Amino acid sequence: MGRVAGLLALAMLLLPAGVAAQQRPAFAMQPGRVVAAALPASILSDREVERRLRSGLTATFVLEAKQRDAARRGASRIEIRFDLWDEVWIARRVEFDGKEERQRIATRAALEKWWSAPLRLFAAAADRVALQVTLTVLPFSPAEGEDARAWISKTGEAVGEGSPLIAAMVGTTVSAKPIRSYRWSAEVAAP
Amino acid sequence: MRRSIAFLVLAVAAATMLFWLAIHQVSGFWLDMALRPDVRQALERSMDDQKRLRALDAEHADDYRRRFESTRMLLHRLEVLRMSRAQMLRRFELLLVASFALAAALAATSVWARARRAQARERTEYLDRVAVLQETARRHAHEIKGPLAAARMELERAADGAPPAIRAALESAGDELERVARFIREHASFAAIGAPVLRPVSLEQAIGEFCTTFANAWPNVALRFGGGDATVCADRDLLRQVLVNLCTNSARAIDGDGAVAFSVVRRGAKIAVDVADTGGGIAESLRARVFDPYVTTRRTGEGMGLGLSISRKIMLEHGGDLELVESSPAGTTFRLTFGERECS
Repeated sequence: MGRVAGLLALAMLLLPAGVAAQQRPAFAMQPGRVVAAALPASILSDREVERRLRSGLTATFVLEAKQRDAARRGASRIEIRFDLWDEVWIARRVEFDGKEERQRIATRAALEKWWSAPLRLFAAAADRVALQVTLTVLPFSPAEGEDARAWISKTGEAVGEGSPLIAAMVGTTVSAKPIRSYRWSAEVAAP
Repeated sequence: MRRSIAFLVLAVAAATMLFWLAIHQVSGFWLDMALRPDVRQALERSMDDQKRLRALDAEHADDYRRRFESTRMLLHRLEVLRMSRAQMLRRFELLLVASFALAAALAATSVWARARRAQARERTEYLDRVAVLQETARRHAHEIKGPLAAARMELERAADGAPPAIRAALESAGDELERVARFIREHASFAAIGAPVLRPVSLEQAIGEFCTTFANAWPNVALRFGGGDATVCADRDLLRQVLVNLCTNSARAIDGDGAVAFSVVRRGAKIAVDVADTGGGIAESLRARVFDPYVTTRRTGEGMGLGLSISRKIMLEHGGDLELVESSPAGTTFRLTFGERECS
C-alpha cells in the first residue's frame, strides 16, 4: 500500500514535467551552424489550435529565434490549412533563408510527422549558442485577413447605404490576434 | 467663470460616459446580429450539401465545387470578422465616443465663448454707463460751483457786523452750503478720474506701502498683507484709490474693531489681489447691484455710493475687473483682477 502511494506521488511529480517536456521543441545545430527546431506534435493537439485548424482558415505558426549574446536572429513560418472540399491538409513551410516547401497531406498522422521535421531557424555565429525562441500561432493568414478587410470595405458600396467611413474603419480593424504564444530558452551546440 | 468651465467639463464627461454605455449595448447587439451562429450553421450545411451533390452527380462536380468555394469564402470572412469582433467593437465605440466628445466639446466651447462675449459686453456697457454719469456729474459740478461760491461770499459779507441772531442764521445757512460744496466735490472727483497710466508695479511693494501709510487712516481697522508678489502693469495712484475706497467701505461695515487682509493670488494666467474684511457683509438684495453708481446703504448725506463704481471703472480700464467674490455676516471679499495690458 505504501509502495503504491509512493509510486502515485512520483507519477504526480513527473506528470507536469512530462507535459512540459512534450511541449518543448528539440533544438539542434546542423552543418553550417544552422540552428533547427523540431516542434512537438502536442502544439497541434492544443484544443484552440485544433479548432482553428479544422475551421478551414490557414493557421500560421511564426517561429522566431534570437541569439542571446549576439544580435543574430531569424524567423521561419509554417502555414497549415485544412481543405474542406478534398479533406486534405495543405501545409507550407518557409525557412529563414527563404527555402520553401509545400505539401498536400492526406492524414493527421502524416501531418504530425511532417510538422515534427526540423525547421531551420537561423545561422549561428558560434558553435555553441544560447537561444530565446518564441512561437506565435495566428488564426488566419495575412491574405485571408486582407480578403475579409476588402470584403467588409465593399459592404457599404454593395448595400448602397451606410457610411464608407464606418466600412473603412471596420475594415482596417481586422487583424490576426495570436491565439497561442510559446517561449523557450535553449542552448545549442554543434555535434 | 472657472466654476462654469468645470461644470461644462463635468457635463461633457458625464454625457460621453452615458453615450458610451448606450452604444456599447447597441453596437454589440448589431455586430452579434451580423455574426449569428445560425448563419454560420446554414453556410456549413450548404457546403456539406455541395459535397454530397458531388458524390451523387459527378458530371457537375466542378459547379458544386465553385458553389462550395464561394460559400466557404463567405464563411471564412465571417469567421475572420468574428475573431476580430472585440477589436472592432472597441474601435467602433471609440470612433462614436470621440465624435460625441468632440461635438460636446464644441458645444461647450461655444457656450463658454458666448459667456465670455456677454461678459465683455457687460463690461463695455458698464464703462459707457459710467462715462455718461461722469459727464453729467462734471456738468452739474461746473454749473453749481460758480453760484455756490458767490452765495458763500455773499453770506460771509452779510455776516460781517450783523446782529448775533442774524449771524447765527447766516452761519447755519453757510453750513448747509458747505454740505452742498462737499456733494459737488464728490461729484467733481467722480468726473475727474482719468485714464490709467500703466507702469510696472510690484504688488508686494505697493500693498506693503499702502498698509504702512494708511495704518491709522481707519482707527477701527487693522490692515494686513497676507503675502504674495507679482509685478503688474498698473497706475499706482489709481490702484491706491481703489484700495482706499474698499477700505473706507470696510471700515463702515465693521462694527467695532476688525481687519482688512490683502493677498496676491494667481488665477490661471491672471494676477489678482483679494481684499477681505471682517465686516458684517453686504445685504443680499444689494449684491447684484453693488457696482452700480449711487447704490448705497448709507443715510442721506453720508455718501453717494460712487466708491465701488469708481473702483470698478478704474480696474476695467486696467484691462481687469473688480468683483465681489463673497459676502456673509462674517465678512466680504472683493477681488481686483489685473489684465494682460502692456505697460505704457
